[in-house]
Formats: sequence, C-alpha cells, structure tokens
Amino acid sequence: MTLPEHALAHLQQILRAPDLPGGRYALHEPVGQGGMGTVYRAADRVLARDVAIKVLRGDVADAEAALRLEREARILARLEHPGIVPVHDVGTLGDGRVFYVMKLIRGERLAEFARAAPRSDVLRVVLRVCETVGFAHAHGVVHRDLKPSNIMVGAYGEVLVLDWGIARVVGTGRTAQAGAPEPGGEPGISPEPAVPAAAAAPSESLPDPVTAPGTVLGTPGFMAPEQAQGHPGLADARTDVYGLGAILRAVVLGDGDGRDVPRPLAAIWARALTPDPAARYASAADLAADITRFLDAQPVSAYRETLGERAGRVFRKYQTAIILVLTYLAVRLLFLAMRGL
Amino acid sequence: MNKPVLGLLLGGALGALDGLSALVSAPEVKPEIMGIVIGSMGKGLVAGVLTGVVARKVNNLAIGIIAGIVIAALLALPFALNTDPTTGHRYFWEIMIPGSIVGLIVGYATQKFGQPVPQRS
Amino acid sequence: MLPPPGRTGGRAFPTTRRSVVEATRDDDGEVRRAAFDALIAVYWRPVYTHLRIKWRAQPADAEDLAQEFFARAMIRGFFDDYDPARARFRTFLRTCVDRFAANARRNQRRLKRGGGVKPLPLDFAAAERDLAALRATAAPEADGDVWFDREWVRSLFAAAVDALQAGCVGTPRDIRFRAFERHDLAPADGEARPSYKALAEELGLSVAQVTNHLAWARKELRRLVLERLELLSGSDAEFRAEAEDLFGVRIP
Repeated sequence: MTLPEHALAHLQQILRAPDLPGGRYALHEPVGQGGMGTVYRAADRVLARDVAIKVLRGDVADAEAALRLEREARILARLEHPGIVPVHDVGTLGDGRVFYVMKLIRGERLAEFARAAPRSDVLRVVLRVCETVGFAHAHGVVHRDLKPSNIMVGAYGEVLVLDWGIARVVGTGRTAQAGAPEPGGEPGISPEPAVPAAAAAPSESLPDPVTAPGTVLGTPGFMAPEQAQGHPGLADARTDVYGLGAILRAVVLGDGDGRDVPRPLAAIWARALTPDPAARYASAADLAADITRFLDAQPVSAYRETLGERAGRVFRKYQTAIILVLTYLAVRLLFLAMRGL
Repeated sequence: MNKPVLGLLLGGALGALDGLSALVSAPEVKPEIMGIVIGSMGKGLVAGVLTGVVARKVNNLAIGIIAGIVIAALLALPFALNTDPTTGHRYFWEIMIPGSIVGLIVGYATQKFGQPVPQRS
Repeated sequence: MLPPPGRTGGRAFPTTRRSVVEATRDDDGEVRRAAFDALIAVYWRPVYTHLRIKWRAQPADAEDLAQEFFARAMIRGFFDDYDPARARFRTFLRTCVDRFAANARRNQRRLKRGGGVKPLPLDFAAAERDLAALRATAAPEADGDVWFDREWVRSLFAAAVDALQAGCVGTPRDIRFRAFERHDLAPADGEARPSYKALAEELGLSVAQVTNHLAWARKELRRLVLERLELLSGSDAEFRAEAEDLFGVRIP
C-alpha cells in the first residue's frame, strides 16, 4: 500500500493523540493547543456524551509540568461556577503524562465573537467574565493569563474563562491579610472571601512551582507590568483587573483606530490598565460596576464628564421621550400660531 | 412601580398639563379652566391605566404606542365633539391631536419603563 | 523471504523483538538475510526517492543504484560499522547512500550488479508515479534529505497499515479495518471525511460501534508502527527519540 500525502498527514495527526487507559474515552480530533497541553474532543462511552480532554504535550512532559496540569485540574474542580469549565475526571496515561477530562464547550473565542456582535453585547460578555474572575478571587485564585483567546462564548450565550494553567492560589482573605501562615489541615481553596486588593503574605494552599522571582508568566500585551517584570508572586486581584482591562480594550477596538469609542468607555480600560496597581480598580467587581454604569448611560467613576457631555448623555438616554414631548409642545404652538393668523 | 400604576400617574400628570396648556392655545376658555384640567386629568388617568394594562399584557413597542393613541383619542372624542357653550367654538383638533400625542407618550413610556410581570418558572 | 513487490507485508519483520539493524550483523546468513529484507521493505522507497531528488538520477539509473546499494550493503556489510551513539540509523543509512552515489558518479559509470545477486522485485514504476504526484504538491525548497525522511515515515506507516489489514481481513475484525479504511484512508485530498453517523449507516452499524472500531484500529495501528519502529531503530535511545518525534510522546 502507498499512502498519499494527505492520508499520511491525517494518520500522523490521529496517532499523535494520546492512548487513554481503561477504554472509557475514545479520542477524536484535537480542538486546541496551549503552552502546556493539547485539548482533544473525545467520547465518554460510559455516559454517552462528548467531553474535552486536556493532555500534557509530549515535548514538555516532565514532573513540574505534570504537577502544573494536575494543579490546574484541582483548581477547576473546586471553582464551581457557570463561567468555569467543570472537570469530570483526572488521570495518568501509560507514558506518565497527566490528563484531565472536562466539559466540551462548543462556541467561539471572544475575539471572533466581538467581530460580528454589537458593542453592547460584547460589553455584557466582558461583564460575565468579570463576574467569573471575581468569583475566583473570592475563592483565593488569581488567573494571571486573561486574554481574549482564553474566553469562550458558547453556542447558547454561556461565557467561560479557560486555561487556568498558571493561576495562582493565594489562600484565604483572613490569613492573607493577617500575614499568618496557613493553618494546618487539609490544603485547598477556602470558600472564605479572599484575594484582597493588596495581598500581604501570600500563603499557597496548592504549591505553585512557577512563582519564583524572575519568572515571567502571562501573555505580552495582556499581562500586568508586575508580571512582565518577573514578579509573578505579587499577582493579586488587580493583576487580573489589568488583564480584564486589556481584554476590554482589545475587543472594543478590534482592528479599528478607536475614533468612535466613547470617552467614558476608553477611560474605564485606561484605569484598569494603569501601571500602578494601587491606581487600578481594586477588584473585578468594581470594574464590572463601571461597565454596567456605562451600559445604563450613567456616569462612570473613571471619567469626569463636562456639562455638555452630561447633557448629551441624558439626551441620548431619554431622546425618544424628549422628542415626543417637544412634538407635543410644537403642536400646541402650532395651534397657537394658527389662532394668531 | 408596575406598568398600570406608571400609566395612571403619567397619564394623570400629562392630562392635567394638557388641560392647563389650553390657557396658552385658547385663552378664551380661561373661565372653564378648572373643569378642563379636571376633565383632562381624569381622561389621562383612565387612558393611562388602560394603556398600562395593555403594556403588562403585550411586550411590543408598536402595539403599546398604537394602543396609547387609540385609547386617548377615543376618550378625548366626546370632549372634542362638544361645542364650547361660552365661545360657541368646537375645539376638535386642539383636543384630539395633543390628546393623542399624550396617549402616544404614555404608550411609549409604559412599554419602556415600569416593572414587567415576573415570569413564573 | 522477500516482500512482494510494492508491499511490505507484516511477515517481513522478525517475530522476535531484536533490532533488525543488529540482526544485519549476525553471523547466521539466514538471520542476516531476513533482517535485510525487513530493512529493504521500509527503506527502498526513501532510497530511490533520495537518489532521484538529491542526486537527480534518471529513473533507470536510480533504480539500478538502489538495487546495487542494497545488494552491496548486504554482501559487504555496509552497516557493520554503524554506531548508535553517533547518529540515528536512518541518518547513517542515508549517508551510506550518499557515499555510494558519490562513488558511482565519480567513477562515471554504472556499477555492475554484484555477482549472483538477483534484483529485488520492487515496484519502481509505482514509486516513480507516486513521486511525480508528490512533487506536484511539494514545497519547492524541500531538499533531498527532507524527502528521504518523509518517505521513510510513509514506508513505516504503510507497512503498519498493511500489517493491520493482514491481521483483520478474513477475521471477525474485518469490519474494523473497513471502518478505518473508509474514514481514515479512503477520502481523497480535500474531500470531507464521512461523519460517524454516515459511516454507521453505510456499514450497517451504530455510531457507538463505529467509534469503538475506529478507536481500536487506531490504537492497533499505533502499536504496529511503534513495533516496526523499535525493530528498525539502532538502539533503545534511538527508538524513544524517533517515537517522540513521530508521536510527541515519551516511551516510558
């Protein structure tokens, strides 16, 4: 038999798919590739449903990478939120590579969604991302790699934040603020409010092998200055606020030059992108609140309107009613004028 | 505030103002102005609550506006067909057109604002 | 036993797990012969293609050179000096081919065939046709070495597919190979693969059965490719390195 080139390429691709133990899952095609792992669509034979399986890439498979992938699975498993992909299973391949099984998401990445959607819809999606990230912060987890390609908009409008591979666990709010060490007992992510605006002594409940000073983690263009300068251990809620601001700017501007972007909206992402963490929004919720105000045609905290801008905003918000009242008055005046004639 | 109540309050207020505006467009009716204002306000209250009820049942801006106009026009018609005993003049269009515009405003407002009926799951 | 023309056949490979590269240096003539048969089954096309592309040999000359190369390699023990620590076996073999071709060109004559050695029944005409088809779509900057490696991968996979087919045809597993062939082999370039549902209807199966058959066939093919790769590797380290390159996986 001679194999044509396209057939050979196809066979190589499908045979690169990992060999999962136990026979429960049947792998289909790869659907995504990240820095650490490849995500495949697969069939769960037991529950008769499609799932997604993330497997460590062969060329980066070492003990540290395995630890990171396993850690990512644990973080996802503990953050139960509609905006975070649920994890179903975790295991090890015959060759030692770690994999985890999660819900298969069908949809499009945020950048693709933003190209066709009206601006208000895009902003509402960003709001949902803020809610999800805020939830993670409340449970002591900082994402550290927020960018449009890590946001998925599902076929039914669900919004998911993906790829928590370099997330940092900062422990409970009380212990972090007090600077006290993590109490003994079962390690894990506490449901207590956590991740204050300025994390004091961070206490790792899941050992983070990639927080050593000098390590640059994140994606250029979306990572906060403190990350770019090699201080991933200083990442807190405001680091993610920076990422959210970068996402907001990227999806609103798209390929344009920003000439038709309202100043209050630009001011919102400008504040989120401030190099000094103390000058940014203190939390994802604060950023979300300003976006909501913008959507409701209310003044935003990041921008000081002039009198003319305020009048214009009020007019735009109530323009139909204003026009109707003016029409009524015009009709009255017309009758008056006709009587004068 | 629910839609019928919004319609009631807005219709009453706009009706009263509409009645008062007669002083500007037809100053000769000044002796009957209290009656005009009360009548206009009463018309506005009834038209407003009915338009609000329509808005509660039907979530459609065009239908809400048309309902507001029709209800207000129907309620204004008897008054518009009357001949003023003092002046002997019939103020048909001066009553129908502004009254219908008020109905349009109430129809728009009750569709856009006010609490909709909560959905039962 | 020589492989049939154009086919590699699963039987060309020794049943023991000893590397064929090692076996080419065996004292036993029969063992050496079997090992060379196994090597030739996978390497004859890459060698022919290499001679055609890199050495720009005409088809007839490339055929003669390829035949002569393997004959002399067996008689004169070209691979006896192979040291796994210095290079992968296929790199070493390619270097041997280059040296052989250079000598032939320097001597400006076609080498006479080794005494008493019959030409191998290899389908060079088919190889030439396939090469023409590949050249029509290949990147112009691809050099001879790239072609050699690519043909080696193709031969390896083709041998494994043949073995898979041989193991399934005429057995209850025949339907598995048919599903695999229909979904993973048959579609032409640019043609959409049939959906699992369409394939299930075509073969009179359920979608779950199609999923299971494909999963089995792919797993089996992978095993066969790795099995041949291990036999063709000069050392365990080379096998692991080649497996990682081919499948992106580390063999424990």
